[in-house]
Amino acid sequence: MATHVPSHVAPQTVLTTLYDFPTLEPLRFLTYPSTHLYLPPRKDLLYRAVVFEGDASRQGTASTKWRTEVHGSGRKIRPQKGSGKARLGDKKSPMLRGGGRAFGPKPRDFSTDLPKKMYDIAWRTALSYRYRRGELIVVDSLNIGGKEGGKMWIKEVFGRLGWGQGHRRSTIISSLQDAEEKVGIFSGLEDAEEEGRALLVDDVDVKDLLKTGRLVVEKRALDWMLKMHQSDLVRRTRRG
Amino acid sequence: MPPRLQLARAAKSLTSPQFPVATFLVPFLHQQRHASILGSLSDAPGAYNKRIRRGRGPSSGKGKTSGRGHKGQKQHGKVPAGFNGGQTTDEVTHGPRGFKNIFAPEIAPVNLDRIQEWIDKGRLDASKPITLKELARSRCIHGVKDGVKLLAKNAGELRTPINIIVSRASATAVAAVEKRGGSVISRYYTAQSIRQILKGDSHPFASLEAIGGPLESIIPMSTPAPAADSGNTTPSSARIPALPKFRYRLPDPAGRTDIEYYRDPAHRGYLVHTVKEGEGPSLFFKPPKEGEKRIKRVAEAKKKAVEANKLW
Repeated sequence: MATHVPSHVAPQTVLTTLYDFPTLEPLRFLTYPSTHLYLPPRKDLLYRAVVFEGDASRQGTASTKWRTEVHGSGRKIRPQKGSGKARLGDKKSPMLRGGGRAFGPKPRDFSTDLPKKMYDIAWRTALSYRYRRGELIVVDSLNIGGKEGGKMWIKEVFGRLGWGQGHRRSTIISSLQDAEEKVGIFSGLEDAEEEGRALLVDDVDVKDLLKTGRLVVEKRALDWMLKMHQSDLVRRTRRG
Repeated sequence: MPPRLQLARAAKSLTSPQFPVATFLVPFLHQQRHASILGSLSDAPGAYNKRIRRGRGPSSGKGKTSGRGHKGQKQHGKVPAGFNGGQTTDEVTHGPRGFKNIFAPEIAPVNLDRIQEWIDKGRLDASKPITLKELARSRCIHGVKDGVKLLAKNAGELRTPINIIVSRASATAVAAVEKRGGSVISRYYTAQSIRQILKGDSHPFASLEAIGGPLESIIPMSTPAPAADSGNTTPSSARIPALPKFRYRLPDPAGRTDIEYYRDPAHRGYLVHTVKEGEGPSLFFKPPKEGEKRIKRVAEAKKKAVEANKLW
């Protein structure tokens, strides 16, 4: 029996266009749930996610020697009184040249916590922000089929499409499929940094989604990103 | 105060059309900075508290004494919490009073005016039975834990006949709903079963004990037993349970007070069909039975016979 779902609770969808690359010829329309690509802008959530990523990406390897760790004796440099000079203890004092650092940095973990559901909403909010501004270009495949790619090719294509320098650059997000066919794009964008950047989908962060003027995403990569960041939408299944 | 002459603005409006900008500057006039959103991200203002900066001047409100008052140990260092100068502390002389019943069920109230408002807005469908699942999903009730009680605030606002299934209902709410041609059925819920219902792991009201009762008028929960064979002697009223398929079955009350509550027709309980002819909802006070009378008669007859056969 088909159940009637009232319109106000029925799942809403949004339309986007699938393009060919690099001709940018529209191929067909795509439908995505509005919970994926039409979330309201939430700059607080984006802030939390970007800070969370920034914290997690800090190396935290700065390391100094405190006065106890500096190699040397604990012998008193000079008598306490009578020298007419300042009182001094051992030569490892932070005040002296060659002494230790007073409470200097030690290796530590800077990573902070963020609930997974919040992070996933932030992720989809970033994609929705791009979608709302028309800065999300979904392409069928980044496979340029035998062409070499390279710096000059990138410069020509990006210049013609208005994607590169002077147009706030572009981020190309590729799926993990057919990686060899896209080497030209990746190496070309490495040489022509001023035109944009190319990322594999599993390297992408929320901050990457917000960085340049537009996102050029392979459909497979977009679906993968949405699938990996929907913990607030899907019910957790019990194991066993 | 004399009126201010907005000379600067007036002059600007006069001059701008008269002095066209040099052509080589035109592209820069309408230049728009495409700043990334990354620069304007910030947490919501309510997400954090501003740090109180103590001892930073009189206008801060925590300037001169930094909120520590004048002189003494409290100004300079630490004093044990609740310390009263050596006198018996306040916590001891006036300790906590009263008690909190941690076993009291937490019942979510829902009023009739709110239900009508939800129906008017299309958030609740009055043509179908309203259970706690519909109430919770439409955010008519929040934080439902041990049950839902229907109350009669502004009962006059209820216009639509509704069929509602709740844990409990006040007498005035029952009267108000039935006056509008609706019905109230109260049924037994536990905190765990409510969680299962809200997850979709249990049916919102069907259970084994409900078979044959008022809840079965809403959805069928059983099928009639097949025609009895010659050998079997199944009573004609026997029915085979056919509950809707769900991961968990709803529990029925096992405690006496709960059973009595839902047997009571005054509560519109879902177990009223278990009250037999001549019985009341109470399980404690039993009506005298036929069998008991017979046993008494037999005992008396025996006693008489013994007395008659006595030799001495």
